[in-house]
Amino acid sequence: MTRLPQGAEAALEPVRLALRQDAETAAARSEAEARQQAADLLGRAQAEADTIHRTAQREGEEAARAEAAASSARARRQARRTVLAEQEHLRTLLAEQVQEQVREVRRDPRYPQILQRLTAQADRVLGPMASVTESHKGGVIGTAGKRRLDLSLSTLAEQALEDSAGEVQRLWHNA
Amino acid sequence: MASSNRARVGHSDVRELRGPLLVLGDTEGVGWDEFATVDVSGAAPRHGLVLEVDGDETTLQVLEGTEGMSLGGVEVRFSGRPLAVPVGTGWLGRVCNGRGEPLDGGPPVTAERSSPVSGWPLNPVYREPPQDPVITGISVVDALTTLVRGQKLPIFSIPGLPHLTLATQIAAQATTSSGRAFRVVFAAMGMTHADISYIRDRLEERSAAGELVLLLNAADDPVIERILTPRIALTIAESLAFDDGSDVLVVMSDMTSYAEAVREVSAARREIPARRGYPGYLYSDLAELYERCGRVRGQEGSVTIVPVLTMPAGDITHPVPDLTGYITEGQVVLDGDIDARNIYPPVDVLSSLSRLMRSGAGKGRTREDHLDVAAQVLSAMARARSASELAELVGAAALSETDKAYIEFRTVVERELLNQGRDELRTLEQTLDLAWQALSLLPRRELTMLSGEFLDRYLPDVGAATP
Repeated sequence: MTRLPQGAEAALEPVRLALRQDAETAAARSEAEARQQAADLLGRAQAEADTIHRTAQREGEEAARAEAAASSARARRQARRTVLAEQEHLRTLLAEQVQEQVREVRRDPRYPQILQRLTAQADRVLGPMASVTESHKGGVIGTAGKRRLDLSLSTLAEQALEDSAGEVQRLWHNA
Repeated sequence: MASSNRARVGHSDVRELRGPLLVLGDTEGVGWDEFATVDVSGAAPRHGLVLEVDGDETTLQVLEGTEGMSLGGVEVRFSGRPLAVPVGTGWLGRVCNGRGEPLDGGPPVTAERSSPVSGWPLNPVYREPPQDPVITGISVVDALTTLVRGQKLPIFSIPGLPHLTLATQIAAQATTSSGRAFRVVFAAMGMTHADISYIRDRLEERSAAGELVLLLNAADDPVIERILTPRIALTIAESLAFDDGSDVLVVMSDMTSYAEAVREVSAARREIPARRGYPGYLYSDLAELYERCGRVRGQEGSVTIVPVLTMPAGDITHPVPDLTGYITEGQVVLDGDIDARNIYPPVDVLSSLSRLMRSGAGKGRTREDHLDVAAQVLSAMARARSASELAELVGAAALSETDKAYIEFRTVVERELLNQGRDELRTLEQTLDLAWQALSLLPRRELTMLSGEFLDRYLPDVGAATP
């Protein structure tokens, strides 16, 4: 075992000091770096959290806007459907009432005259060879070979209603 | 009275049923194109149009087809006039089938006036050239193939591409800045029920606002009905445009389904087939529809048409896109490769063109720099394509810095300018700004189509390359 010569302890003191200072500097640097890294990490995490927060907020707002738009569209669609269904109901009601009124025409004292005029019309359209019979729905049906003329009251009423379709829509437009 | 009585005469001398055709004897005084009601015993009445009159024999095409009909038990009543539909604003907000009958639970559409669906021929000298833009809110269309009021601009697509999404997005977003009311008529032909439900959902907003008419012909609806659908759509559009003074956009999808219906009737009539079995008159038949768009002297409104057609197997020489291309004023072409790169809408800008763009874009119409920017972007995209082809041969590393800039430019154009959300509405300002941002990636010396004044005013500083 070798021993340090006398006086070496004192000579080595500056070396030890230098080593310790280096080590302390390195430790301080490491610590500063670690602190910096921690701060960076925290900063990044904070930035990421902010981004996530902003994205979530934006997405939330977009989703809410989309949902609001969809729900408003649904409500409008439903309202429109109700209005249209009500219009159709009115139209059907009118058609039923017209058919009902037309059935009453058979009890009208002028009905035989109407029949005569319808028969004359059938003859005019189908020719003199046409056979014209009274329809069970009122009015007449004329046939000539494979041609048939339907002048029954219900068909005539249906046709009249169809021809006045523009007028019928005033039922709801003026309402 | 006499003619309305004649309209009540039922004819039952059915001599032949052939495909969608019905041949009827013992008829007199019937005219070509006359509309008829076909009563079938025990079933709902059908409808027909007179195709041919030979002596006392009349040939009808039955719109709902002749399935389930027999020679007995059929009675045909002729209306004495061509098929007419009521016209007016009563159609707005309604959803109807391909024959115009309501699907939304409402009453049939009625109006004080009606017009024949085949339309009135327009005196050519009364036509005004298309003018002013229709802004769709879709960057690629607005910036590079601007749709012009009164133009007919088809979308050429391939089955499987999102053409229906694009068509519905255009129908949902399009508008003009004229201050006139903007209306849309959407005619869907041969659609699956899933597609129909998709269209209704996408256009709900506009429908609820009373700006839209939807005519929906499903794939399982009678094929022949499709012959009527675009005609009814155009008749409604003409009335909204020229009687009510609105700007009307008619979107018709898919015209290939329509052409198939024309082919089916032609085959049943035993006509001599031309290319791919389509009749020789397909060109004039399509022109009859497409030429109903435009503007009319002395009238406020306009009819703009965007037909969508799918090219079977992507074949642009197929008769339908080929003949359409002769009639229309440009085309927007969708591409499968671009779609595979997840770019929506997958428009191939180098194959797309709006021939009337000059009448709809530029100073006083959109923005002073619009036409020059569009020309510069297209020119740079063409150069980028050459550069990328060169890169495939020699490797990207061997390219010059300028070529690399062009390739980077194309990537940015596709990612930022062309690509956009399926519900995203971009203003023209936003669109043009995106174009300028992409152009800023190119060296300034390459921007030869843009004046120094525009470069100074619009070219962004950030990212601007050295001269």
